[in-house]
Amino acid sequence: MKRKASVLPGFKLSLGFAILYLSLVVLIPLSAAFLKTFTLTWAEFWQSVSAPRVVASYKLTFGASLIAAIINVVFGLLTAWVLTRYRFFGKKIIDAFVDFPFALPTAVAGISLSAIYSTNGWIGSLFEPVGIKVAYTPLGVVVALTFIGLPFVVRTVQPVLEDLSAEVEEAAASLGANRWQVFYKIIFPAIWPALITGFALAFARAIGEYGSVIFIAGNMPMVSEITPLIIITKLEQYDYAGATAVAVVMLVISFALLFLINALQWWSNRRLGHTAS
Amino acid sequence: MSIEIKNISKGFGNFSALKDVSLNVPTGELVALLGPSGCGKTTLLRIIAGLETPDNGSIHFHGEDATDRAVRERQVGFVFQHYALFRHMTVFENVAFGLRVRPKHTRPSEAEIKRRVHELLNLVQLDWLADRYPPQLSGGQRQRIALARALAVEPKVLLLDEPFGALDAKVRKDLRRWLRRLHDELHITSVFVTHDQEEALEVADTIVVMNQGRIEQIGSPQQVYDHPATPFVYQFLGNVNAFEGHVDQGVAKIAGLQVPLNYQHEARSGSISAFVRPYDIQVRKAYDDNGALAAKLTYAHSIGPIVRLELKREDNHEFLDAELSKADFDNLNIKEGDSVYLKLKNVRVFFGNNFVI
Repeated sequence: MKRKASVLPGFKLSLGFAILYLSLVVLIPLSAAFLKTFTLTWAEFWQSVSAPRVVASYKLTFGASLIAAIINVVFGLLTAWVLTRYRFFGKKIIDAFVDFPFALPTAVAGISLSAIYSTNGWIGSLFEPVGIKVAYTPLGVVVALTFIGLPFVVRTVQPVLEDLSAEVEEAAASLGANRWQVFYKIIFPAIWPALITGFALAFARAIGEYGSVIFIAGNMPMVSEITPLIIITKLEQYDYAGATAVAVVMLVISFALLFLINALQWWSNRRLGHTAS
Repeated sequence: MSIEIKNISKGFGNFSALKDVSLNVPTGELVALLGPSGCGKTTLLRIIAGLETPDNGSIHFHGEDATDRAVRERQVGFVFQHYALFRHMTVFENVAFGLRVRPKHTRPSEAEIKRRVHELLNLVQLDWLADRYPPQLSGGQRQRIALARALAVEPKVLLLDEPFGALDAKVRKDLRRWLRRLHDELHITSVFVTHDQEEALEVADTIVVMNQGRIEQIGSPQQVYDHPATPFVYQFLGNVNAFEGHVDQGVAKIAGLQVPLNYQHEARSGSISAFVRPYDIQVRKAYDDNGALAAKLTYAHSIGPIVRLELKREDNHEFLDAELSKADFDNLNIKEGDSVYLKLKNVRVFFGNNFVI
């Protein structure tokens, strides 16, 4: 047998380890969830996942996550832009603040957010006179999900913005492009893939978020109850199969959405000419 | 369009990149800004383009003050050393960019854009690459596309920042001849920056030699090469051997030799720096009564028709470089380690010393 020489040795070993690791941490627990649902009959399964209260929670979870991820794309891009393009006093501190939502225990975040955004909290009291209630409403859910998703967009876009060569922008300007044209014709296509990745990460994180949301959501059935809470509730009632059934639906929807986002990214990369080289 | 640069100064922090630089570029000329890295040539070019603002001084395009004009209003074509092509656009779209970003009322029709872009791609002989993306092209091709892109906006001035600096030697030679021909066809006022004296001497109508933020000399390639104004220019434009010596009533004494100066200095006396090009050192095997510099041949290196010699002076053990033809070298019949005697021709003398780079 001829041995194929490679400059990167250990392909089999490292692939084997990666698969083992993925199996232990991700694949086996997830398939266990699937297996558990097989203890239900099809009718029981359908009943647990399509109850009106559960369906309302899907809408809230996926809807709020989507809105939060979109908000994060806009303001995350802005934050990344400010952090890479300008020099100012305190920049390093702001840069460190971005990671706060990563580091903070989610329960702490949830309690602080609900305290601040409740009708007599610092920010909530400002909205109260205009008739907007933030805490204990779906709006509060969006606030919490925006909070925990912010670092994803900033941290994926920031390195790409830093790597953009100033020369390309100068070239565009010398060819007569104004600031706005330079942004949407030159900069935006370059950061677009990173932006989608950041969006997907923030979205995925928001779908699964539990700790920071339950405090500010108020958890009113049909109104501000998120799917992870439904699962917890079912678990507390020892309805393990019902809990995993809902979990499986969430998993499938999340997987489908992430797959869609990846496909969109692949398609736009081709269209915008991000070639493999 | 002519460019006038008046008393431009520019500093970056404590570093002063340009010190009171003034320069005129007449319409239709191809001017080279030549100097070592850090001499301010690129900064000067970027100030002309409007990519950098001067601290002091002014820039005039065709007599009009353009100092405060923004880059995109200056109508300059700028070509970067590393091409700066838009990698997410095809070659066609890269060249069309300057036309497409125009405001609606001055933007050409789609058919007109197509015609213009193909015309330019034909000019740079790369029409067949129109649908490729920049990463799929070679360096030489990318730079020609960058040039076509800059020309698409019909600039009044073409500015090139080390345009061939990132290319390999063969492509560089081809491209600079091609640039010269292109300039002869289009007659667009052009300024290019280079640190390669050969490139500047071959391509430019006028060479501006710069050093440490100042202009050392402005002149045609022949003027700067044959009549360098300063020791710096002399040393920068080719290999040199430097000597120290002094002049007494028009006769220079260098390394113990009496060297008659080949042009008239006023009968001045004083210490001098003297420079001799390697091909102006004559190598003899025998001592000659009129005086010659004793040296030892340490290394002989033959490149095609030329033999480069490394010689060690017997008096102070400094090294000298000499060049002679292969035929002369064979006639001399010397080998490494042999003693030889040197005569200096065309010695260029500058009063004062400490001119070593």
